[in-house]
Amino acid sequence: MPTHYVTLKKSDTNFFEYLWGANPNGEHNALPKTQRAIPVKTYNLGTPEESVTFELKNITDTKKPSFFVFASSLIKLNSFVLILLPLLYILTKNFITKNLTDPLAILLAALSAVLLFAGFNIRNDVNDHTSGFDRVNLGTSCKPIQMGWISAHKAARLSLILILISGVLALPVVFLHPQLLWIIVFSFVLFFIGRFTKNNSYKQQHLGEFILFILAGPALVLGYQVAMGAGLDVQAVSFGTLWGFGVLFLIQINNFSHIMTSSQAGIKNTMTQLGFDRAQKFLVLSWVLFLIFWILFHYYFANIYWLIFGSLLLVFCSVPFFKKILNIKSPMGSDLPHIRNKAHKTFLLMGCLFIAEIFWSLGLLLWTNAH
Amino acid sequence: MTYKIYSSQDFPAYLPKLNTLFDDLFSGGKGFRSKLIGLVSVPLAVPPLSQNLLAQTIEFIHNASLLHDDLVDRSPLRRGKKTAWLKYTPEYAVLAGDYLLARVMVNLSAYGNIKLVQYTSEMISDLLEGEWLQDSIIGDYFVNLEQLDLIHNLKTSSLFKWCLRAPFISIQKYDADLHFILNEMGSILGQLFQRSDDLLDYGIRNDEAKAVLGDLKSGYLNSFGCFMARTMNGAQRGQLVKCKSLADVHHCFSDDAEKARVIFTQKVEAFDQLNIKLIDLYNHHLENLDKLLVDDEKNLIHNLRPLTEILYWRRKPRA
Repeated sequence: MPTHYVTLKKSDTNFFEYLWGANPNGEHNALPKTQRAIPVKTYNLGTPEESVTFELKNITDTKKPSFFVFASSLIKLNSFVLILLPLLYILTKNFITKNLTDPLAILLAALSAVLLFAGFNIRNDVNDHTSGFDRVNLGTSCKPIQMGWISAHKAARLSLILILISGVLALPVVFLHPQLLWIIVFSFVLFFIGRFTKNNSYKQQHLGEFILFILAGPALVLGYQVAMGAGLDVQAVSFGTLWGFGVLFLIQINNFSHIMTSSQAGIKNTMTQLGFDRAQKFLVLSWVLFLIFWILFHYYFANIYWLIFGSLLLVFCSVPFFKKILNIKSPMGSDLPHIRNKAHKTFLLMGCLFIAEIFWSLGLLLWTNAH
Repeated sequence: MTYKIYSSQDFPAYLPKLNTLFDDLFSGGKGFRSKLIGLVSVPLAVPPLSQNLLAQTIEFIHNASLLHDDLVDRSPLRRGKKTAWLKYTPEYAVLAGDYLLARVMVNLSAYGNIKLVQYTSEMISDLLEGEWLQDSIIGDYFVNLEQLDLIHNLKTSSLFKWCLRAPFISIQKYDADLHFILNEMGSILGQLFQRSDDLLDYGIRNDEAKAVLGDLKSGYLNSFGCFMARTMNGAQRGQLVKCKSLADVHHCFSDDAEKARVIFTQKVEAFDQLNIKLIDLYNHHLENLDKLLVDDEKNLIHNLRPLTEILYWRRKPRA
């Protein structure tokens, strides 16, 4: 059976129905309900927005994964550490310093953050699908829309529902802690600047990198802090900055791993601006800076053992990463997925060290109280 | 239609060895790219002089890339003969390649179609990027097919795209939709040609009895190698890269020779399936191209339809 394809231009009436999997009202006029239209990759990067060729797949022929695989790849479950670890850290910190005044508020805030994050992750996949980003870049993760497991229309609706529920859950917390409103408003303003301004788009990502640093770091951590009724403090701000820097580093690594396709597509971010050789050095420098921030943070806010042993362990485990990144020879080979993997593992190790620290501090507190 | 690609009168006779080198270079080869120019140009009624210029341009660029490529790869043979860098000197091989590229620019700029000059320069840049990237992954046995496809699109497909688009540009047909389709078709033809060439390296449809495993032995896992390796474990992959013969390659799949041969054949069939999908996509673009052509131009569809048979299956098209 030959594979069926359809090529449509943006100006064609059916274009958006094929791209989204349904028309804006959720109806199927041109594309049968039983079929999914998957955009075909293009190597002709100058014209990604002009015309799109779709491969038509029968939904019944698409291999369905288990619900867990589907859901976890849709919401990007493996990235939840980015919001859950800061929560755990702030929770423990405030528990130890007896600043945890409102358990209900923090429960609602945590649930709200989880749903918001899931919603944004889904939305991000929808944007990558509709903007053409997926068609010009090498696949780095399993994307359910690209696999034909869900239509962009349904994914967008699901993302909206999750974001709305997240908003509803956040409402009582805002009533309980009105200062939180400022952080939410600030975050949303940044988010919309990142999403809709001309300075930041799928082709122009400098501003987006900075906004992600703020949202994933200081804004997230301070949001948790305020939701707990603990008010702002230097430790939370410092932790948020450190965490945001770490997340930004992961984003840079990710951008580095498809530096060639991004450059060819005319996408402007720190990595494509620096170019392959300088980007390697920049990434090493970034992680060195992160290690310095880590040491400073522990010097001020952790006990001496964690400062020494935690830092030594992290530095020691970062050495293979430094070696690997400086030895990458090609912007195209197998080294790139490798380095992304290594960076994620090093970041995860840093997260594990924080968790160990948290439990150590908790254990110490409980032991002291018991004696 | 045959074109006069090389004439010694076009190059300075006082330069030692230049014309002998070019005589050697242009006497071999099937001239497929210039034939493709003819297949596209004739239905479009491109004037014969322009056709000759286009055919000469693509063959000059292709042969310049071969001169440089052979030196980069340290290949001893090209079309069964000693390569230019060995027969003459590496310096002469580089300079002769540069000379051909310079001649291309002289000829095209004299022709006066600035869009053609611009597009040709872009194509040469793509070609060089592809060569550069391919060199950067030598010895990388974990590269994946998607990455190789990107490199081949620059290195191989750029020439095919040019063959399809340049005749339209020469008659000043610049319609964006038309060139979008031609670009996509050129990408696919280049991909199919490269993949078929890579299969030859594993003795598949190797009717010309080319030497096998040349890519693997020079540290390069080609597209079929990549395809086979993606389901291999670390040990099998390690074994694959050390293979010296096709029997060794089969042996990577099983110790039982018959079973190994069956698995290898299944891999080839699966690879063919992947490419049949690509051929379907080519035919889809061909149908869309038909809608954009008028009158005699439609003969172009008839000329382009058999190309996948020739380039991928390496057989004469069915009547």
